[in-house]
Amino acid sequence: MKTFAPLALLVALLLFPNPGRGESLSSDTVWEGRVTPAGSVRVEPGATLTVRAGAVVTFAAGGLEVAGRLVAEKALFTGKDWQGIVLKGCDEETLLREVRIEGARTGLLVTGGAPRLLGLTLAGNGTGMELRQKTAAEVADSLFSRNGRVGLFVKDDALPRIDGNRFEHNGKFGAYIHRSTPASFRGNRFRGNPTGLAVSNFGSDPRIEGNLFEENELGILVDRAARPVISGNRLEGNGTGLRLYRRSDAQVEGNRFGGTGVAVSVAYSSYPRIAGNDFAGPGQALFLEFQSARWEADRGAAAREEEVAARGAFGGAPRTQVTEEERRASGLDGTVDARGNWWGEAGTAELRRIGPRGNPSFIHDGRDAPTFTEGGKSYPLDTVRFAPWSETPLTAGKARPAP
Amino acid sequence: MFPRILAISALLLLAACTRGETGLEGTLLFRDAPLAGAEVEIYLKGEKDRSTNPFAGTVTDEAGRFRVELPPGRYFLIGKMRQESASGSRMLMAECPANPLEVTGGMRKVPPFSLREMGRDGALVPDPGTGVRGRVTRQGAPVAGAFIYVYTEGGAGLMGPSYGEAVQADERGEFQIDLPAGRYFLAARKRSDGARMGEPSVGDLNGVYPGNPVTLARGEMSLLGAFPLAPVDAQERQARLDAGRFAPTGTAFTGEAVDADGRPVAGVYVFAYLDSRMVGKPSFISVPTGSDGRFSLHLADGGTYYVGARSTFGGPLEPGEWVGTYDGRPDHRAEVPRGEVRSLGPIVVREVW
Repeated sequence: MKTFAPLALLVALLLFPNPGRGESLSSDTVWEGRVTPAGSVRVEPGATLTVRAGAVVTFAAGGLEVAGRLVAEKALFTGKDWQGIVLKGCDEETLLREVRIEGARTGLLVTGGAPRLLGLTLAGNGTGMELRQKTAAEVADSLFSRNGRVGLFVKDDALPRIDGNRFEHNGKFGAYIHRSTPASFRGNRFRGNPTGLAVSNFGSDPRIEGNLFEENELGILVDRAARPVISGNRLEGNGTGLRLYRRSDAQVEGNRFGGTGVAVSVAYSSYPRIAGNDFAGPGQALFLEFQSARWEADRGAAAREEEVAARGAFGGAPRTQVTEEERRASGLDGTVDARGNWWGEAGTAELRRIGPRGNPSFIHDGRDAPTFTEGGKSYPLDTVRFAPWSETPLTAGKARPAP
Repeated sequence: MFPRILAISALLLLAACTRGETGLEGTLLFRDAPLAGAEVEIYLKGEKDRSTNPFAGTVTDEAGRFRVELPPGRYFLIGKMRQESASGSRMLMAECPANPLEVTGGMRKVPPFSLREMGRDGALVPDPGTGVRGRVTRQGAPVAGAFIYVYTEGGAGLMGPSYGEAVQADERGEFQIDLPAGRYFLAARKRSDGARMGEPSVGDLNGVYPGNPVTLARGEMSLLGAFPLAPVDAQERQARLDAGRFAPTGTAFTGEAVDADGRPVAGVYVFAYLDSRMVGKPSFISVPTGSDGRFSLHLADGGTYYVGARSTFGGPLEPGEWVGTYDGRPDHRAEVPRGEVRSLGPIVVREVW
């Protein structure tokens, strides 16, 4: 609230201690103490709702929709299966700091605008937070924990800054970036999620930089022709560190992979550039499956045509969101480029022993399984170009640890 | 020669296959009124595959009605009409939204549908110097960035994506829309999230031009003056919804949206399409299911519908959505007589990732 008017606020407090069903707030209003709306509350354009530190707002039903401004600090928004908070086109004057939102279907839905969301806790919601419609929201230093489906969803060409957050033990995904390219995605920490981060669909080309992924079943999933730059991250102790799936030509550079699982899995016509990374763990460094330039030439376009996500909701005619020309792999020679990496102490020793034409034990490719079968037809599995390699670690002092 | 062979084949098929009269009948409209003298063409193939002459055809009578006898089978129906006037000619045309049409026994009644004026690529092609100009306001003050929609028909409360043109007002709330000569209905909206489309929410600005319909002669630039908008009121919105597509009609499908484990799923819309392809805008839609997963899908008339369910509407599927179809039949088809409520039982929806 830019102009503080004590008398007006006092009047508002007297008028709106417990907003009723379908309440509309068209003037500046303050909530403090225990607030128990019986139904949905809407903050109209031009009005500001201020929620004071220590306030506990419990929704029995409905949710809070803000078309004006919301300023909340150290408050709790709670309820059982309530709708959550919706910020509609709110500008940077909307500020939520150290607010906890729990028990909602979607804790915080942001459409458009550029609100600042700092130090939040989104826990026990269906989805913690969803950013849509080109929002340039700032999301920093927040905790997304034990949300039933996704901690943070980023959709619809959203351009937020996602920095310094923690994503822990969410039901399916810590964070999911769908057809969006956040302006910044760095310094975040993902732990204990089935999938830490998913980057999906053509048009998702963010820089995923300086994050920590640890003890997730899958650290990062790149899927459906997304092309992020994955740089300077640490991936430790995940079942699989990075999975590149269905035409996902990511740039993977300067990361450190540790742990006993698979560091990088490549499947279905994904042709990344993997360089300058350290594969420090004892597990499989690279694992290729269903990855074949021949399959791509024969079946790639048809397989994509059959993808549900590119079609009408009920299986009808395809929609023209992305052309086959944009997704098609070109210049394929049956190899995946992974030159210029450090393959760990044991791996480097093995490479010295077997030379550039050998078959490294830490890479599973066409040298180990020459073919795979799909649809009754056999296809040659691609091979990995691993030479030249680095004799020394590359990311020491470079792969930035998460805070 | 080829059309003659087709006609003879059709007659032979008729003679061989029909027991009693089978075929299609219905009414063509233009701008809400019956359209006399329009051509009705029946094809065996749809859309771009249609490369032959019509399988059959007729012309609408003075009440816009048509009736075509056909052997049992699957057909695609289009209506079209060329109109000549002093200001030039124009082509009216539309595919029947219920295509493809299955003829099984008796005369199948095709729901009425409207022809549209065709321009290049199906868009409205302006005539020189023809259009409307105005200023969107709220309580007299300009509304920057509002969207102004031009509809060629006045039904459905001037809502939905069937508008022929849309422009955005400038920072002074002013707009100009170039149009061909004709009669139009204007609406304008400004959503608080800046979106071009979507159901206006409470508090969004909404308005229908008070001078509707606006009739334009060729070469006429109509000055509309102020086009007032007002915030969407919660009670009015609910009343409109109650009186609109969600209003009980006495004809409905009911059921329950459930997940693969049979648990009710909340927040799912159920759709009814006339078109078996189930693409584009559905003909009818339910309100979202509540926590018990139950739905009532009210229909304007009895008939055959193709039923699907989804947690959002519009656009391609996104991750996290629930989606499913009525699977009582493989083609998701369900029938209900007029004035009856039919239970479809559970519709299983799955989460898409």
